[in-house]
Amino acid sequence: MTEKPKLGVYVCHCGINIAATVDVAAVTEYALTLPNVKVARNYSYMCSDPGQLLIKNDIKNEGLNRVVVASCSPRMHELTFRKALQEAGLNPYFLEMANIREQCSWVHENRDEATAKAKKLVAAAVAKARLLEPLEAREVEAEPAALVIGGGIAGIQAALDIADAGFKVYVVEKTPSVGGRMSQLDKTFPTLDCSACILTPKMVDCAGHPNIELMTYAEVEEVGGFIGNFNVKVRKKARYVDFVKCTGCGDCAAACRMAGRFLSEFDAGVGKRSAVYLPFPQAVPAKYTIDPESCLFLSRGKCGKEPKCVEACRAGAIDFTQQDEIVEFKVGAIVVATGFDVFDARRKPEYGYADYPNVITGLEMERLVSASGPTGGKVKIHNGVEEIIPQEIAFIQCVGSRDKSTGNEYCSRVCCMYTAKQAHLIKDKIPGANVRVYYMDVRAFGKGFEEFYDRVRREGVRYIRGNPSEIFRRKEKLVIKVEDTLTATPLEDEVDLVVLAVGLEPRADARKTIELLRLSQSPDRFFLEAHPKLRPVDTATDGIFLAGCCQGPKDIPDTVAQAKGAAASAMVPLARGKVKIGAQVACVNEDTCRGCGFCAAICPYSAIEMVTINRMGHPVEVARVNEALCKGCGSCAAGCLSDSIQPRSFRDRQILPQIAVLGVLR
Amino acid sequence: MDLEKLRKTAAEIVSREDVKYLIGWRQGTFGYRAAPCFVEDAAGAAELTFSPLCSANLATYLTLAEKLPVPRGKEPDSRKTALLVKGCDSRAVVQLLVEKGVKREELVIIGCPCPGMVDRALLAEVIPEESAPADLKWSGGGFVLVKNGLETALPRDRVLAEQCRLCRHPNPVVSDILLGEPVQPWEVGPDGGVDEIEAKDVADRWDYWEEQFSRCLRCYACRNACPLCYCKDCILDRLNPTWINRAVNFSENTAYHLARAFHLAGRCIECGACERACPAHIPLGKLNRKLAREVRDQYGFEPGLDANAEPFQAAFKPDDPEEFIL
Repeated sequence: MTEKPKLGVYVCHCGINIAATVDVAAVTEYALTLPNVKVARNYSYMCSDPGQLLIKNDIKNEGLNRVVVASCSPRMHELTFRKALQEAGLNPYFLEMANIREQCSWVHENRDEATAKAKKLVAAAVAKARLLEPLEAREVEAEPAALVIGGGIAGIQAALDIADAGFKVYVVEKTPSVGGRMSQLDKTFPTLDCSACILTPKMVDCAGHPNIELMTYAEVEEVGGFIGNFNVKVRKKARYVDFVKCTGCGDCAAACRMAGRFLSEFDAGVGKRSAVYLPFPQAVPAKYTIDPESCLFLSRGKCGKEPKCVEACRAGAIDFTQQDEIVEFKVGAIVVATGFDVFDARRKPEYGYADYPNVITGLEMERLVSASGPTGGKVKIHNGVEEIIPQEIAFIQCVGSRDKSTGNEYCSRVCCMYTAKQAHLIKDKIPGANVRVYYMDVRAFGKGFEEFYDRVRREGVRYIRGNPSEIFRRKEKLVIKVEDTLTATPLEDEVDLVVLAVGLEPRADARKTIELLRLSQSPDRFFLEAHPKLRPVDTATDGIFLAGCCQGPKDIPDTVAQAKGAAASAMVPLARGKVKIGAQVACVNEDTCRGCGFCAAICPYSAIEMVTINRMGHPVEVARVNEALCKGCGSCAAGCLSDSIQPRSFRDRQILPQIAVLGVLR
Repeated sequence: MDLEKLRKTAAEIVSREDVKYLIGWRQGTFGYRAAPCFVEDAAGAAELTFSPLCSANLATYLTLAEKLPVPRGKEPDSRKTALLVKGCDSRAVVQLLVEKGVKREELVIIGCPCPGMVDRALLAEVIPEESAPADLKWSGGGFVLVKNGLETALPRDRVLAEQCRLCRHPNPVVSDILLGEPVQPWEVGPDGGVDEIEAKDVADRWDYWEEQFSRCLRCYACRNACPLCYCKDCILDRLNPTWINRAVNFSENTAYHLARAFHLAGRCIECGACERACPAHIPLGKLNRKLAREVRDQYGFEPGLDANAEPFQAAFKPDDPEEFIL
């Protein structure tokens, strides 16, 4: 641009957020002394309509061609002001923001010093604004389909919403059935609806929906491309049972030589299954799967004379020659709903989970009280001597949550309430049982939660504030050593059954998902959303959204709400049919690029590929940026030894003068 | 090293259709010098030599070769370049392969196991350098100077070059043809030069480098001799933005040397070419070896050993140590 820069500087008071600490009038006055600055103004809320109008009018009347807004973080309002510039007929990228709120007024107390710093920041922004270049944002077509990873309640709900809107949805579920954790639960708090009753219809809908292609027992292998154009590769694992022929009758499982020999994953290890199995009676699809690790024929190559399942299957569905199948397709958006793992109680050895059969986890309790569980809903437990119906029952809260020693500082958000629910169910199933709950704090924050907690206490469940230090066996009883911290009384409590309210943890294979989709993790190791408040279902990668517990512990209503949010967000590019590509992307100087590929290796978004170009008749490799994938983060620029790759709007020649101003001014 | 075998092999290679030329050493025209040479025919091959004076790292020339514009309708010359390499030269080649500075299929690598090079300055302290060319040989555990038909034995410890004292890879790590038997790697003592500077406090270190960098002429010989400084357009030469001013003073000199050292972190293969090239005798080896030591100690990485390695500067792991960040 040859036009001489004419700058307008707009200093925002942000109510008193900025004005209380920074002398905005002085900053405005100072801005007028800076080179190329024609107009400088301050206003109480620059982002408001009249504030934006100030800028727009000056652009029109004063002929401004660059704008500096000194206000909050560009993350907050850069888009707002870009739009204002555009509406006034200026290229939206002729905007530079000086963050005098988060980086100045909020972090300083001394008014004089804060004002001096605000001046510096404004001067630096002015120095850069003069060097800005006009940029154009491009648009590309978006594939009207979505991928949902995970077939729990979050994945099912997101898939149903997107499919109902008329878009194709691919649901990929790792296990043989959809349903996820919710299908393992008995009743749901606080309303006590039966979990299966409300979930199974949705599972069936999901499988039968004309727009949904359900892939169970499958895993996403590769995801390439970018928003609107993701290329997905899925491995459908061999079930060794013909999906079409299998009628789900279960003869094979009954006949299996290893019937009842393996711990059932679905029953959280409380029940048993065969090598060929249906995870649970209501599984969708109702097709059997052979676990290659436990099947004698598949693991050892021999199962009697002939595998019994083959004999038993009248449909002739058993097929040991089946191979994994790779499916590839294209989607415009991805919803990640990979769920959670429960905390492994063995990591709190003082509670003796590994030692005593009558110390169980909350999830095991769910299976025990469930009518479809291995005991048919009867709470029977082995105490090491005999099978009993426990009379003295204790729950321990916060096992693996709010506990730095286990590395989980966060609250798992569901344990207080599922404990209350289970306490209620026990009271219901074992009349006369004594139930107490050892807790740190009871967090009953949701709709109807406090009321339910109150109801459970009125039913006679005792809440004792204290964090047990140890559990050991005395004869056929378990002894809980604990201090009641409300009365400062040390207790030794003899019980028949201890239920550990284990918390929620990120999936053990979360790292794999992160690498697959280039996600980030928050300090609690769950997947990180793009903004904790304003973009809670988005990720840093456009077109990839989070739903459910993979983003953080949640109860079912929150999970469903988030899934619906993620579905709505995912539908934006699908419905628009086009996606906007950021303009502040990296660009390569192909003349100086030496083709080392460092940038391609560094790029966290896989946005750089190496291409061969013709340089004076010689084929040479250089880096090329896929602008649709690039986020303009600048990692490539930092790694480039020859300075041949730079993000637009953040070129060295633009930011060095900015830095220089910060250094020289006092 | 059997010189006849070297020359015979070289003659065979340069006579091949698919080989452009061979880069090797020949005896210099002055004193204790060996000169790099480009051999295109058998006559040139007959002049090749490999002696304790052949310290020049020939990998440097791989990226220096100018690529002239190819006239329209003509194909670029895709013939291979043959190259003699010592252990350190071969590591430079491997690092170039990692960085895609050269392609393996464009190279014929002739490995020369290296029992160690002499430091010309140390040699001249023992026997002053004269204009007449002299030859040097390995003999037993030491060196023998051949001048005017007279042989003088030189103890190894007295004249061995610093980078060779510290050399952990005297045998080529990559080669198509290996001349002679691999040598037995020798025991490497502590890197006294770097230890000495590490032992100083910050102020003394600053004084030390101030004295060294103040002498820099900014002739860029170190950069040009370095096999791994080969950007077509070095950022230190650019004017917009001007990372480093074209003024020769302590501040700009320091910026130059530190920028170069950081660009070489995890890439420098410690061949000593920079220090040998420096007319102001700035101990650049110590600077680069310090960074190489950090990379080795912190990340367990040594460049120039595996052509398939991930480039160190482009590799990141969440559990990378960060102790050195102040």
